[in-house]
Amino acid sequence: MRWLRAVAPPLVVGIAMLGLWELVVRVGRIAPFILPAPSAIGEQLWLDRDVVLEAGLASGANAFVGLLLGAALAILAALVASRLPLLADVSVPVAALANALPIIALAPILNNMFDSTSSIPRRIVVAIVAFFPVFVNTLRGLREVHPIHQELMDSYAASGWTFARLVRLPGALPFVFTGLRQASSLAVIAAVVSEYFGGLQDGLGSRITSAAAFTAYPRAWAYVVGACVLGLIFYLATLVAERFAMPWRSRLAS
Amino acid sequence: MTALEVSGVSKVFNKGRRDEVSALHDVDLVVQSGQFVSLIGPSGCGKSTLLRLIADLIQPTSGTVTVAGKPARRARLDQEYGIAFQQAGLFDWRTVRRNVELPLELRGVNRAERKARAEEMLVLVGLEEFAGHYPAQLSGGMQQRVAIARALAVHPPLLLMDEPFGALDEMTRERLQAELLQICAKTGTSTVFVTHSIPEAVFLSDRVVVMSARPGRITDVVEVDLRERTEATRQSPGFFTAITKVRRALRGTKAAESTEPGGPAEPGVSAEVLADS
Repeated sequence: MRWLRAVAPPLVVGIAMLGLWELVVRVGRIAPFILPAPSAIGEQLWLDRDVVLEAGLASGANAFVGLLLGAALAILAALVASRLPLLADVSVPVAALANALPIIALAPILNNMFDSTSSIPRRIVVAIVAFFPVFVNTLRGLREVHPIHQELMDSYAASGWTFARLVRLPGALPFVFTGLRQASSLAVIAAVVSEYFGGLQDGLGSRITSAAAFTAYPRAWAYVVGACVLGLIFYLATLVAERFAMPWRSRLAS
Repeated sequence: MTALEVSGVSKVFNKGRRDEVSALHDVDLVVQSGQFVSLIGPSGCGKSTLLRLIADLIQPTSGTVTVAGKPARRARLDQEYGIAFQQAGLFDWRTVRRNVELPLELRGVNRAERKARAEEMLVLVGLEEFAGHYPAQLSGGMQQRVAIARALAVHPPLLLMDEPFGALDEMTRERLQAELLQICAKTGTSTVFVTHSIPEAVFLSDRVVVMSARPGRITDVVEVDLRERTEATRQSPGFFTAITKVRRALRGTKAAESTEPGGPAEPGVSAEVLADS
């Protein structure tokens, strides 16, 4: 019942929005190349479902591998930076600066570095994009240590790395997941958009550009819907992983 | 046997700088095995600093600290003491049992023995049913009991406590005081207990060490002889006499220069002190 109450309002609003969209397109006689009706997009989605699925899987694999790689590197780098205060002080502004750069713009350069049949360039772009939010958040979490925990571990004569493993890292988990939630959405965007710049054309991004080039707008939109679903799946998967990784949080309510 | 010996200890923070603070000046303190000693005094008298010096969390500017016959640093590395603070400081991500196991884990005790020892400690503090809970699922008093169990897990000869019941309500506080005495008696642990509650210090201690501020020093030591402590102790005449003694000692820290100790002003002072509370 509680579940239904949580899900029903956004669902109702969503359906209402779609209805309104359909109505505006039909009544307003808006040309399909400007804005196709949801029914037309849905029809295309159904017709091309195999291709959408296949392209979605390809983009999803790129996003997933890149996200894992970027997040793992980010957590390692944050661990190292948290142990070396000087490095941490330097790395945060550098990370902020690098984060402001349009990393997707690296895609054409990376594409030239590898084979045209390689998935590696897109995965590298995703990894770089995913790195920053995870790094910045994890580092913040690692540096926030309760003074009592510090004194307690000192009283146990625990070494720096033991302290990092037993106290800093688990204490930073909520921050890590804040970073991962941001990174998971960004990863999908990066995986899709990096295809716009060439490279292997087997994902959702290339389908969207080619459909648009052929003025098949409802089809382009169908792939956009596929990308939306993919982003949603990544986000939800991170939420589920968060619950599993931090059982002490979900057990609070019970 | 002496559990703890502090001799000629001074602590100056920010030495040689403009904001130099003399936190402790020439402190001597001996705690015999199995004794319960409270440190009491106004804020800033250095009682927490003294506790941290004993724990080797900070180092004295001069003087020596000996715990269980070893220099403080060696004693810390050997986990010769357990420590508990005003906040329980439990690790949210560990279950109650795994929190108690932590000091054992850092000592390299194997899994089976860790578990057995943690469960023994949880029985001692009456929380054996909560072994699988997470700290956030417990009340403040229960969390503090877990912290005590954790401090005792390695069976240290010395227990250091920094206002461990300071954040609890009066009823929980009194119950935990009685429990703590039972535990200390059962395990034979010596205890140094920082507090600013006079009744708490008197109820728990064999000796109450009275300190004063600027610079932090020991001004008086009140021996409390109440024998077995029960709830009735809190209403006994001996309890109130000891409270008055401690209170007078605390008051005396300011008036020491002007009033002759034991002089004719004594009844007047105690009346004044009682009216004051």
